[in-house]
Amino acid sequence: MIWENIHLALKAMVASKMRTLLSLLGIVIGVGSVIAILTLGQSATKSITQTIVEGGLETITIFPDRSDPKVGEFDEEFTDVLKKNVDDIETVLPVNSSSALVRVEQESSNATVSGVVSSYAAVLDYEVAEGEFFTLADNLSSRQVAVLGSEVAAELFPNQSAVGRYISIFRNQAKSYLVIAVMEEKDANFNLQYNASVYIPYNTYTDRFVKPTFVGSYVIRVADGADALAVSDNVSTYLDSTVGTDAYRIFSPASLAEMATSITGTLSSFLAAIAAISLLVGGIGIMNIMLVSVAERTKEIGVRKALGASPRVIMGQFITEAMVLTLTGGLLGIVLGVSISYIVARAVEWQLFISYTSFLLAAGFSTLVGVFFGWYPAYKASKLDPIEALNYE
Amino acid sequence: MKPVIELEDVRRYYTMGEIIVKALDGVTLTISRGDFVSITGPSGSGKSTLMNLIGCLDTPTDGYIHIDGEMTLGMDEKDLAYVRNQKVGFVFQQFNLLAKMSALDNVATPLLYTGVPYRERREIAMSALKKVGLADRMKHRPNELSGGQKQRVAIARSLVNNPSILLADEPTGALDTHTGAQILELFEELHSEGRTVVLVTHDTDIARHAKRQIHVRDGRIGEAG
Repeated sequence: MIWENIHLALKAMVASKMRTLLSLLGIVIGVGSVIAILTLGQSATKSITQTIVEGGLETITIFPDRSDPKVGEFDEEFTDVLKKNVDDIETVLPVNSSSALVRVEQESSNATVSGVVSSYAAVLDYEVAEGEFFTLADNLSSRQVAVLGSEVAAELFPNQSAVGRYISIFRNQAKSYLVIAVMEEKDANFNLQYNASVYIPYNTYTDRFVKPTFVGSYVIRVADGADALAVSDNVSTYLDSTVGTDAYRIFSPASLAEMATSITGTLSSFLAAIAAISLLVGGIGIMNIMLVSVAERTKEIGVRKALGASPRVIMGQFITEAMVLTLTGGLLGIVLGVSISYIVARAVEWQLFISYTSFLLAAGFSTLVGVFFGWYPAYKASKLDPIEALNYE
Repeated sequence: MKPVIELEDVRRYYTMGEIIVKALDGVTLTISRGDFVSITGPSGSGKSTLMNLIGCLDTPTDGYIHIDGEMTLGMDEKDLAYVRNQKVGFVFQQFNLLAKMSALDNVATPLLYTGVPYRERREIAMSALKKVGLADRMKHRPNELSGGQKQRVAIARSLVNNPSILLADEPTGALDTHTGAQILELFEELHSEGRTVVLVTHDTDIARHAKRQIHVRDGRIGEAG
């Protein structure tokens, strides 16, 4: 019986192609947009995560909160404390940064001036383009030397080499620093803006530049092969138990990737839910066309009843017809959604990630729409009086 | 032998606003198995109401109707559908074939509602079409058939469930005299094979083909011939 009903439904659809197509449009667009949103949402997540992963997952940065009373805990010894108490940490680098005006003759630039230790570049795989990064000795003797990020170097010394020249850094008063190296370009890593920075020895920063009461941030290099996300969690747990949850913020590319996934996931679910409303509108279109179909086929219903079709059988026939209709709409919608996703993904250069679960969901949901909105017309058909239906012209 | 159709003081009243229309007002009638009966009467006589009641398309307001042992009083639509499917073979004036289906599928439709499997349905429908002389028209749709052929398809359809009664409502009404005569011959042939045929018509010439003639007037019946 089910097969016969499907067969009848397909016949009825083919008999009036244009009408079928128009009445299906709501479902097609609804399903199409849901599929496109879910597919693109997932593709976006994948692309963002990939970008983050490529930037390097191995660093974690801790920013103490200046306003917290416990901020005094974050001193230079804290680097060793952290290393001792949390597993899988290779190095902890203290960093102090502030923004300052950097000037050479008439050229000036706003840059982030960071006081870092001599191992900073090596630990973060940050390559020197020209010259040499400052040494432990430079740091211990608080020499007034500077290493320029690629952007700063290009801005201040557009036509010549920066190494061997002097720059002035203004912070309350101008101080002069010898440029000893220029770094290679390195992609920003969400928490570390490499290229727009000027690096000076850590002790120089504290002695000559500004005297901080605590360390501005700690950059942690995770041991090779360790799970950055797990280390990040362990650091958080440790800090929570020692200085409290409010005294710091922690950033790791791994946790950022996780956050990005969750944000795009929530966003695309939300958008898909809105798009699903158009399925409701499409369902009303289906109800309308089914009512028309029942009215047009009153005579046929009468004949079928005279031949022994029970109300249930008639109901089944029309519900099946509605379901076949909406399922067809759903399948066309999937095709539409995938096509849109493909075009958009190509345009913005995302890697297309097709979710087959969403196909099943869309097909199932559109069939459900058919049952729901086909029910009333089918019920009406099943309740027709056989004599009146037979005499209907 | 138990009669195949039994009506006992059957009344069918309709209310139209405040007025009660007594379409049938106390009809008692028995039709025995294998009989060939005509029911005649002018329009508005209650002829159609009587036919609908015998065909189980309707139930009486009062009185008892037995169709091959089934009492239809108080039956719901589902049970009535079952009786129609099993006990009654309908033949209509306008053929009432399903336009989008082949002759074979049309004939097989009642079997679908009986729950007969596909292959068997086709076999039964094929032999029914052979019986009415349309073995070569199985794949044709109704619009590719002549009036006489359509009515033969309809008769084949009425036979597939081997019903207790063939109920024909003006079966020649849409046909020319010659074709109509052939259809009547077919009914006579079916009658001679032992089937119970009830022929509803307004035409007394056609009614004369039947062995027994029942006349309906003002909601009551009388016999003639």
